[in-house]
Amino acid sequence: MSILEGEGVTKYFGGLAAVSDVDFHVDQSEIVGLIGPNGAGKTTLFNTISAAIAPRPGVIRFKGKRITGLKPYQVCRMGIARTFQSVKVFNNMPVFENVRLGSFFGTATRMSSAESAKEAEELLDFVGLSAMNTTLAGDLTLVNQKRLEVARALATKPELLLIDELMAGLNNTEVAQAMKLVTSIRDKGITIFMIEHVMKAIMGVCDRIMVLHHGVKIAEGTPQQVATSQTVVEVYLGE
Amino acid sequence: MLVSALNIVINGLLLGGLYALVAMGLNLQYGVARVLNIAHGEFIMLGAFITWAMYTKFGINPLLSIVIVGPIVFIIGFIIQRTLFTSLRTSAPSQPAFEGSSMLASFGLLFIIQNVALIIWGGDMRAYSYYNFGINLGGAVFAANRLIALIFAVVIGIAFYIFLVRTRIGKAIRAAAEDPTTAGIMGVNINLVLALCFGLGAVMAGLAGVFLSMCFPIYPVMGLEYLIITLIVVVLGGLGSIPGSFIGGFILGLIGSAVSSWQPSLALAAYYFIFMLLLIIRPKGILGK
Repeated sequence: MSILEGEGVTKYFGGLAAVSDVDFHVDQSEIVGLIGPNGAGKTTLFNTISAAIAPRPGVIRFKGKRITGLKPYQVCRMGIARTFQSVKVFNNMPVFENVRLGSFFGTATRMSSAESAKEAEELLDFVGLSAMNTTLAGDLTLVNQKRLEVARALATKPELLLIDELMAGLNNTEVAQAMKLVTSIRDKGITIFMIEHVMKAIMGVCDRIMVLHHGVKIAEGTPQQVATSQTVVEVYLGE
Repeated sequence: MLVSALNIVINGLLLGGLYALVAMGLNLQYGVARVLNIAHGEFIMLGAFITWAMYTKFGINPLLSIVIVGPIVFIIGFIIQRTLFTSLRTSAPSQPAFEGSSMLASFGLLFIIQNVALIIWGGDMRAYSYYNFGINLGGAVFAANRLIALIFAVVIGIAFYIFLVRTRIGKAIRAAAEDPTTAGIMGVNINLVLALCFGLGAVMAGLAGVFLSMCFPIYPVMGLEYLIITLIVVVLGGLGSIPGSFIGGFILGLIGSAVSSWQPSLALAAYYFIFMLLLIIRPKGILGK
């Protein structure tokens, strides 16, 4: 069953279509990859899902309910969390407080202070940041800020996690760790929709891959199908 | 010599407490809601006049006016943010465009509130006497009502800081101050938090007005004078830094008191000199990030 569905999702910036009439779906417990050259509209598509911007026209449904037109905080509380391509941690707040913010405001039901503290500790342990509880988020390295974003998003208790370029700028070891992190999030029962440029990672963890080019969906299928698709190869390597 | 120095310090602290309170309010409105509220001083005036009217008409203790003025100005501020500034924010193409349009709109608010006050209360100076006897501290003499004002300003300032650091809403406010869009995506109802900030900012101005009315004469166009000083305090302390505004208020109070003791008419000029110097040397302010 599809947890997330989009129909004819379109977004114009000025006269330019950043996303153009894209139909998509993500099934329960799937890891779906979203790839495409720079400027293909991947992050814009994520922004329409997290309600940071409204698609026009187009409809997005989450668990069968229409979420288009809702406010970002409502979408978050329904169970969609995300991380950001350009890291957006709260620099002036300690790591621990960053995570707690997610559990205080992003969850569907109110969480007690003690519960949220316990949850935050577990999540920081899960992403490997437990030693840095009191560090200001702005003082972390880029890799750790990305991990913190994952923990903060998980603190909202999502059913669907949107991950926007978790692995950009990481070295080989860190990419391997991040891939393991992604699969272990799925093992918690959370569905994942991820944008990624690191091909090794996307081919390794995804069940299915969608390809965007100039805002249009040009291919979709298993990693194997996408890797051998003539259209995709042309887009990436030129004709 | 020693007594006059003591006089300067005490006067500076008494004045600084009020500056600190008003500046924390403006910092909340500009640092979080991104509205450079030119009408901020009008909330001081409203607080002062409501207190005066309550005292002279019904004999209500000025300190009791806190619980009357607080809710009134909070509701006014909250509604203004939810209607006027929220629509300006959603329709603005960019952050700087919103800051420009909201500032111009707040100019309008200044005149609207001021004119309404002039119709209700007329243009005269008003004053009343409350705890208006001298206290002698090591030779320095000051009115008891000013000490009351200082104590309340400090207590309110510290209580608000604890609220920001300790409570959930406080955390949401700090997150919204850093990055409202991301805070929203993390589940914070951003329009509500901004309206809360604007309302709380108005409360601080209103309460400062309550205390001001106990110590100084009040008049319907008094707001602008205090707004100008407040702007300098906010820049001095650092935009977005509540402790900065608190400390900045006292620093400016001390400077004002020192300059006034030498040449009273130069106080405002001295403030502006510091303001310009600051913009050149340290535009972030003392505790700005």
